[in-house]
Amino acid sequence: MGGLRVFVSRLLDLFRTRRLEESLDAELQAHLQLLSEENIRRGMAPQEAREAARRAFGGVEQTKEAYREQRGILLIDSVMQDFRFALRILVKSPAFAAVAIVTLALGIGATTAVFSVVDRILFRSLPYSHDDRLVAFGLTAPIEKDEFMLGASYIDFRKTPGPFEQVTSMIPGDSKCDITEERPVRLSCAYVEQGFLSTLGVRPILGRNFRLDEDRPKAARVAILCFPLWKSRFGGDPGMVGKTISLDGAATRIVGILPANFEMPTLTPAEILVPQALDEELQRRAPPGAVLRTFGRMKPGATVAQVIVGLQPFLEQSLQGAPSAFRKEIHLSVSTLHDRQIHDARLASWILLGSVFAVLLVACTNVASLQLARATARQRELAVRVALGASRGRLVRQALVESMLLGLLGGLAGCLVAHLLLRLFVSIAPQGIPRLQQAGLDLRVVSFTFAVSMVSAAVFGLAPALSDPSPGALIGKEVRATTRSLLRPTLVAAQITVSVVLLACAGLLLRSLWNLQRTPTGMETERVLTETVSLAEYRYPKLPQQIDFFSQLQARLKALPGITGLAVSDTLPPSGQMRSTILAAVEPEGHVPIAEGTGGSVAWRAVTPGYFSALGVAVVRGRDFQEQDSWPSENPIILSETLARILFGKEDPVGKQLRLFRQQSPQRIVIGVAADVRNNGLVDRSDPEFYLPWKDDPVESLSTGQIIMRTRTEPTVVAAWMRSETSALDPTLPVKIEAMTERVGQLTERPRFNAMLLSLFAGIGVALAAVGIYGVVAFLVAQQTREIGVRMALGASPQSVMNLVLWNVIRWAIGGAALGLISAWFSTRLLQSLLFEVRVHDPVLLILALLLLLAVTLLAAWIPARRAMRVDPMVALRYE
Amino acid sequence: MTPPSGGVLHGALALIVLKTLDAMGSLHGYGIAQRIQQVSEDLLKLNQGTLYPALLRLEPRGWISSKWGLSDNHRKAKYYSLTRSGRAQLSSEAESWERMAAVIARLLGAEGL
Repeated sequence: MGGLRVFVSRLLDLFRTRRLEESLDAELQAHLQLLSEENIRRGMAPQEAREAARRAFGGVEQTKEAYREQRGILLIDSVMQDFRFALRILVKSPAFAAVAIVTLALGIGATTAVFSVVDRILFRSLPYSHDDRLVAFGLTAPIEKDEFMLGASYIDFRKTPGPFEQVTSMIPGDSKCDITEERPVRLSCAYVEQGFLSTLGVRPILGRNFRLDEDRPKAARVAILCFPLWKSRFGGDPGMVGKTISLDGAATRIVGILPANFEMPTLTPAEILVPQALDEELQRRAPPGAVLRTFGRMKPGATVAQVIVGLQPFLEQSLQGAPSAFRKEIHLSVSTLHDRQIHDARLASWILLGSVFAVLLVACTNVASLQLARATARQRELAVRVALGASRGRLVRQALVESMLLGLLGGLAGCLVAHLLLRLFVSIAPQGIPRLQQAGLDLRVVSFTFAVSMVSAAVFGLAPALSDPSPGALIGKEVRATTRSLLRPTLVAAQITVSVVLLACAGLLLRSLWNLQRTPTGMETERVLTETVSLAEYRYPKLPQQIDFFSQLQARLKALPGITGLAVSDTLPPSGQMRSTILAAVEPEGHVPIAEGTGGSVAWRAVTPGYFSALGVAVVRGRDFQEQDSWPSENPIILSETLARILFGKEDPVGKQLRLFRQQSPQRIVIGVAADVRNNGLVDRSDPEFYLPWKDDPVESLSTGQIIMRTRTEPTVVAAWMRSETSALDPTLPVKIEAMTERVGQLTERPRFNAMLLSLFAGIGVALAAVGIYGVVAFLVAQQTREIGVRMALGASPQSVMNLVLWNVIRWAIGGAALGLISAWFSTRLLQSLLFEVRVHDPVLLILALLLLLAVTLLAAWIPARRAMRVDPMVALRYE
Repeated sequence: MTPPSGGVLHGALALIVLKTLDAMGSLHGYGIAQRIQQVSEDLLKLNQGTLYPALLRLEPRGWISSKWGLSDNHRKAKYYSLTRSGRAQLSSEAESWERMAAVIARLLGAEGL
């Protein structure tokens, strides 16, 4: 009320200082005038009267000062004064200002850029209402590593959804569908249950959610558009709701439009949502039925632990229904949606954030020692201020304000650095880092930057602020940094410690990346091109049509010049996407079946003859497939070496018979054994594998084919040929052509990204540390000039002077390095799960990091130390 | 008589200024000082360094208002006058001053017993 009014008025006064000052002056002058006129009336001479008035009035300036204190908000006023002063000081020493601001900008910029990336991954909430109550749940089993539920059991479960308020489901994976009208285009289609959106708490911005009667087989077809598709294809036309489009050749009515920030809980791409239309009767009739991803909304206040307990009856029921082989290997999986989305990005995110904070720490330490050096140089100024009556608190405030100003300027420059770094990140980042594309400098990130700048300013400003000017400085005596010399070397040691840790971590990741890239894949990937062709189901609904298409394409490609190998398969190694079954489903004739369990998963592919030679995989025994193997009467199989060893031990597998998938199907004859190929990515253990001929048994669909071409010709030319041959057959087909080396390279993108960033940060850290060490040593040498002069006058050799300086640094470097070793020993452990065939405590790497750092330290110290060597004793002794 | 110590004066000064303006209507700083000196029969000689900050304290609280005008001998001077809320403040402050004065008188009297 009154207080607020006073405050506001004073705040306003801050901005009209000059006018107030003039007004006050006029008022006091008027007072003096009136007073002297009164004196004249009493009979004094004018001159005398004025002087008497002045005497009676007292000090005009004191009155003004009292008036001013009354007027302004004293603190703000004097802080502004400090700010102006700090700005002047910075402008007066541009070299110091530039070094400090660049250092800070690097530290703050890197921190901001990394924060803006990991913020999306670690801290931000998902675009669903009450996202903390959403969980992904289901079973995990050897052939399906993500949690799932089976159609029939889900239909029973959703009637009484146990511990959940609501449950919903979707068909897993990135399914495709086509808009089949003008400008045909292939879309990512999400097949979801009717209550999918309402369970997630997402409302269409236009139109409505699906209705129950629309989520049934044979119901009229409807769809909901996602925002980007609505904007790009339909120009954001609000009239789209209610319109009909042709989807996969069937008329489909658009019933709603989703908000711009919508994303699938599995993070799979989706451009359009379609009801999954689960056929209940079919699911019950033919168990196990469809595989579904299931999500639940917990009741308010419920925890994941409670949900796990609540799901036990469901787990037991599922186990009873499961084939006996699976029972021991089925587990319940419940995780919050947030955890599920980021599971493997979490550790890397924390490590990047940690390392970038380490860089920031080095930067702050640098600025702190710079400030400290300047504080010593400015001791005389400080002493004068104390002598003139500045209080200790006033000096500390002044120093803090100077740091704040530096922090702010560094933060501003840091925003620019962050912006550039972020663009770099996005351009080099691999696929699959969640939400990286959306990372940017928004208000939240900028406030983070601001907070970081202020905290760093406090950190690096505190030490110099607490320095106490000695009265000796006032009379011009030089004050040498001897008493508090502990602080400076401690800062150096801290920088070295942090740098050792950064270097050790970066080294481990680089080493691991090196190993990863040299991992043999089991193939010869040079000069191999692959083409992924995915046939639209509505155009090629039946297997014979699909097989026919691929054999026509193969025939066309075979005619191209320079082709040394050509084959088609349904999937390609080494990525982990392939058909798989369990070992128990592979039963060799005359062998005892596996007594218990599933035996783990076994990969398999359908391939045409020539697959092995095209990929450069050796057939170590027997033979490759031939044309006649695709006849219906033939049932051959080729095993990988590992699978052959598991099934037949040391016996020769060729000619042996086995049955697959517990079918009463004809026996299959092993015709060959192929060398092992990495098939679960580069890091994970490979599964044993077998190959079946490219034909209609036992697969149900071959709509996606991988064309493999080994060529002698220039790959870009061949790629263009492949493209034109494919479109000659079917111009609507989307085609993706990649070199095989590229495909393998994609698997190392993630580790390469992590290693690159960490190396970048380690590099910045070491460079900053070098600058810091250089600065401190140069400063110490300058301080010791006189001492050095005396020593030299007394006969010390230049070499011994240099040793003296260097020894000082080395002592602290060794201390810092020892501490760094210990910290690295503990912190590298955190990296464990990111490493591939590298020991966490690799002594060679640690020693390399140490040596590198010691070399940098010595170099940084050597330059100023040489200057000490060249000190002229005469000059030094006359120094003061 | 020695002037009352600063502490007491500080609180009382506002009351004195408000009362003066109440009695005299509109007045400039010099006039206020003169008037106070007059009324107190020279016992209270106001330091100008105290008066102007006091005026400045009262104005933003809305108890007095100021505007530039001409003095009797045609000098430009800043005239202060009491506002409505200043008048209310004066009566409540005068009341509490009297109560305080009575209490202190009683205390001093009691000490004598």
